[in-house]
Amino acid sequence: MVPPDERSRALVSVLGTAETKVTFEDPRSIPEMVLAVVEAALEDAALGWHDIDAVVTASVDLFDGLTASSIAVTEVVGAVMKPETRIAADGLAAAVHAVHQIMAGAYRRILVVAHGKASMAPYWDLTAWAMDPIFLQPLGVNFLTFAGLQAAMLARHDPHAVSRWATTAALRRSAATGGIAGPISVDRVMASPVVASPLRAGMCAPVGDGACAVILGDPNIGDRNLGEEDVRIAGIGHDVGPHHLMIGELTDWAGLRRASQRAYTLAGVTKPTFAIVEPSCLFPHEEELFVEAVGIGTTAPHSPGGGLFAGTAPVISGLSRLLRVVRALKGRTGERGLAHGTWGPAGQGQVVVVAETP
Amino acid sequence: MTSKMTPETTPETTSRAMTPVAIIGSGQTNHAKERSDVSQPELVREAVDAALQDAEILPEDIDAVIFSNMELFEGRAFPELWVAEGAYGNGKPVFKVATGGTSGTSACIAGFHQAGSGIFDTVLVVGFEKHSEGHTQTGMALVDPFWDRSVASGALGNFALSISQYVSEYMAGRGVTEEHAAQVAVKARRNAANNPHAHLQMPDLTVDEVLASRMLAEPLHLLDMCPQSDGAAAIVVASRDTARKRGKAAAWVHGAATRHDQPYLGDLDRRLVTTRAQRSAAASAYAQAGITKPLRDLDVAEIYEPATYAELAWYEALGFCEDGQAGRLIDDGITQMDGELPVNPSGGVLSTNPVGASGVIRVVEASTQLLGRAERRQVDGARTALATGYGVYAWSDVIVLRSEMP
Repeated sequence: MVPPDERSRALVSVLGTAETKVTFEDPRSIPEMVLAVVEAALEDAALGWHDIDAVVTASVDLFDGLTASSIAVTEVVGAVMKPETRIAADGLAAAVHAVHQIMAGAYRRILVVAHGKASMAPYWDLTAWAMDPIFLQPLGVNFLTFAGLQAAMLARHDPHAVSRWATTAALRRSAATGGIAGPISVDRVMASPVVASPLRAGMCAPVGDGACAVILGDPNIGDRNLGEEDVRIAGIGHDVGPHHLMIGELTDWAGLRRASQRAYTLAGVTKPTFAIVEPSCLFPHEEELFVEAVGIGTTAPHSPGGGLFAGTAPVISGLSRLLRVVRALKGRTGERGLAHGTWGPAGQGQVVVVAETP
Repeated sequence: MTSKMTPETTPETTSRAMTPVAIIGSGQTNHAKERSDVSQPELVREAVDAALQDAEILPEDIDAVIFSNMELFEGRAFPELWVAEGAYGNGKPVFKVATGGTSGTSACIAGFHQAGSGIFDTVLVVGFEKHSEGHTQTGMALVDPFWDRSVASGALGNFALSISQYVSEYMAGRGVTEEHAAQVAVKARRNAANNPHAHLQMPDLTVDEVLASRMLAEPLHLLDMCPQSDGAAAIVVASRDTARKRGKAAAWVHGAATRHDQPYLGDLDRRLVTTRAQRSAAASAYAQAGITKPLRDLDVAEIYEPATYAELAWYEALGFCEDGQAGRLIDDGITQMDGELPVNPSGGVLSTNPVGASGVIRVVEASTQLLGRAERRQVDGARTALATGYGVYAWSDVIVLRSEMP
């Protein structure tokens, strides 16, 4: 429970949320997936298309094989003859930008939409094209191999690290419901093939297809849909660390520490305790970096639904974490939650949202 | 699927004004066909250092950075992660806006929103593109695989298609001719000769030379089209209180609006004639800024004209003249440097086009005019300036700046 004197001024309200079921291959096109979540989010918010002032989308051209990839969804997000901004990062960064827009007084209600369809191309191979072309790309590294390097550095002086990570992956997948991945034993994790030493296939969150939508609103406009039980966003923060990660930050998510501190400052969080925490961790070693960076302590529970280990899709992960935090907090009083997103190699881009109920 | 769509904006959306913010400094590189002397982060660093120097601030004074770049033109994903260090962005809040040709102006508007949010005091917006390190037309051809990709032809084909409709409607009925378009080309390139940053330097270009240049796609000649450039540009946006406390000249944002439109070729019949997205964006930005007669109320305009005919269409969409009067505007010299409303003293996109930076350059040039720092391309006494962005098939941004605080 958040002490009353620590409760912050709400930045924006969360009016509605929706997401697709993540699958390895959704047979629908990108616009069809996105239309489904937009209509569901509008229904969840009891709003119509006319009630939305602006749209912020998140997509990545290279993942979609489309230039200006929001073109694919302009119609189905209702952005025809409306303001739309596309943030080419994790979907939670798009939500953060929507918060900026509402706080600037530019718009009252904003639809935030993210989509990713890893089934269209070899996802990890594509991520090699996010490396700088002079120093890193010629080495053949991608997001998966970078995660392996990161894990290897963490395991170098920790002989129990790999078995601990196998236990973590099995624990998360035992809680997973409705996603791609189901329960798996620690033995099976350890017997699965090495994909980026020391990471094994069973340790990695499966990446497939999905879309997610969140509708944010100005809490000061007397919105008819805004009730006392609605969840508000109280703090936001994002950060981009050095690209050449071997220089310093590979074994420390310092960027997440900076991003979370920015969010905590806005939200008035002095002691980071949360009723619900949803990290965007694709690999079990990242959970340890996450816990350390956001300062929640190693015993604090998080990822009650298995987190990303149940299955996720590129770009949507952070926004879908916000959706889960919002749904967990809805109807509760004086509670606080944390949603996390990341993009780039080994957590170079980090974004945090602190949500709370009055 | 579209039965539930509501394509028109509500009145509240079109006139809502945001918290005042100001541009306190700007900078740009020297643009060229190929800047092989620098990497992409180094190119960005040139523009950013110029902007910081212009604003008289240090890198540590920047709270957040917004990038504008079209990643597939250089074959990258998340290029801001690599290039952020060029903008002193490591360890700071950074993300990238990418909406085709409007990327730069949309990134600027995102910067206005961040600085107006109360969260950040000073925001750096930087746009860059290094076309020489990629293949732009291939990038532009990566459109919808089901409907548009089989006929994708990049910028040239799209403009030729829409301009041919514009020309057939206007040339026959209202007197817009290819000579008018050629006059736009000459104006742009002669203005660029006063701009040391401009890519194309053609001070002696004539209408006859434009008309005699190679036909690319009817009715577009080579010199009717913009070039592909390497370049970067940056602005520093400050919150109202930060800008006011400085006690220095600034370019204040009085209006900003974005409109996107149908993205498919088949839905965009006569798009250059109707220009509904730009008309709607202009109506919103003008309402925010109190602009009622643009030709009278604006002192200078930096508009995003990738082709000569587009500039003529924009004259009408932006309310510089009645529909069908664009030819008269250029004939009468209204938009020349010594005319009533100089349009693109910088030489415009027709002279310099690093796509991710092109929209930022419009804002850099507009704000530079208001600060009186445009040197040989300065419009005397400029106090109200317009900057626009145009991209994808019909997306538009319109921004109104003034030297006075709202």
